[in-house]
Amino acid sequence: MSTVFQVGAGSGGMVVLDLVCRDPAVRQVVLVEPDVYQSHNVYRHYFGPREVGRRKADLAAGWVKQFRSDLDVTTIVADLLDPTRQGEIEAAVAASDLGICAVDNEPAKYHFDALMRTHAKPWSLGEVLSGGIGGWVHVFRPGEACYGCVASHLQRTVSTDNSPPPDYANPQAAVAETRIPANKAAINVVASAHATITLGLLAGADPGFTSLLVPMAKVDGVFAEAWRPFRFRIPRSPECLICGAHHAPAGEDLDVALDQALARLGHE
Amino acid sequence: MGLLDTEAGKRRLLCVEIPAVERYNEGRDPDFKVQVVRGGSALTLRYRLMPCHNVYLLETRLHSGYPTVPPETRVLTPLRHCPHLLEGQTLCLWRQGSTRDSSRWDPAKFTCVFAIQAAWRWLACYEVWHETGEWPLPEAK
Repeated sequence: MSTVFQVGAGSGGMVVLDLVCRDPAVRQVVLVEPDVYQSHNVYRHYFGPREVGRRKADLAAGWVKQFRSDLDVTTIVADLLDPTRQGEIEAAVAASDLGICAVDNEPAKYHFDALMRTHAKPWSLGEVLSGGIGGWVHVFRPGEACYGCVASHLQRTVSTDNSPPPDYANPQAAVAETRIPANKAAINVVASAHATITLGLLAGADPGFTSLLVPMAKVDGVFAEAWRPFRFRIPRSPECLICGAHHAPAGEDLDVALDQALARLGHE
Repeated sequence: MGLLDTEAGKRRLLCVEIPAVERYNEGRDPDFKVQVVRGGSALTLRYRLMPCHNVYLLETRLHSGYPTVPPETRVLTPLRHCPHLLEGQTLCLWRQGSTRDSSRWDPAKFTCVFAIQAAWRWLACYEVWHETGEWPLPEAK
């Protein structure tokens, strides 16, 4: 019986939550989600327009309780990066067996990664590409590649975006890289794969990859063909500045050492 | 949150960023050494660069979310407006606001000294542009 720590109940996160919570092996879920349901969410979400204005965390908890009344659902209505809520969030991570990351911004992904590494928990991440042309599912396990290792590797080796750069010379112009939303079907494909892989991870299975890329459309310069998945086994990078060993003092000693170092450089 | 108020942020500063700045400063002319100033939850690096004939005064800010949020560099010396200069003389270096795929900033590989080197390269391009009207790096177009 497992406890799952999930961040994000947006259009993709909600699908993952729904599918994972249907598994009887899951006993408890802690969901971190700060947002309120808005009218523009209705098209891609589980809930109708009458729910606009309610907290997504409450809607998500109510949804899973419909078919899993025995499930223990705890919601933390907060931004994952909120410094005032870190104690509560850390305690929930420490008590969990696995993490599910369903956020779409880089600082939150890195923070999720840091939390999971601190507490040596496996976790998964789903990402839908702009326009729904494809998506990623990543798997992270203690001691293996961190999100920094994976992001850095993929940034150099895999291109999934050929949109033109924004025109900074003309700040009034429409920004070309503005995200093109994916449709619900594409989101569900990636989220369902994310849920399936997560349930495997929860059962102790080795998916055989770190990152799975599923192209859903043929896109010139990006994907030569649709529906031919790519699997990457990305090793932990010994030079990674995110998960590399930083031998430093702890607590007050760290503060003192940092103050001294900054004072030294302040007088250069 | 992070850089100056979490253990991980402080450790990154002490073990990665500060040693990188100290190595950069080692043996350098005192006028061109990096000075680090603490301000609230951010750090500011102040330094001078001379890519060709002119000396420029710059500031690189490491915001609270650094290193996942890229550093922001602006030139304090007045510049002519050019295509790759943002508001407040901030340099367009990493495609701010972009996704992992298109961003040129890599927090797993780069330190703040990389931002200084990128600023040097930007200024070298600026000087060429100033003389010729052409920005010499094709990927910046």
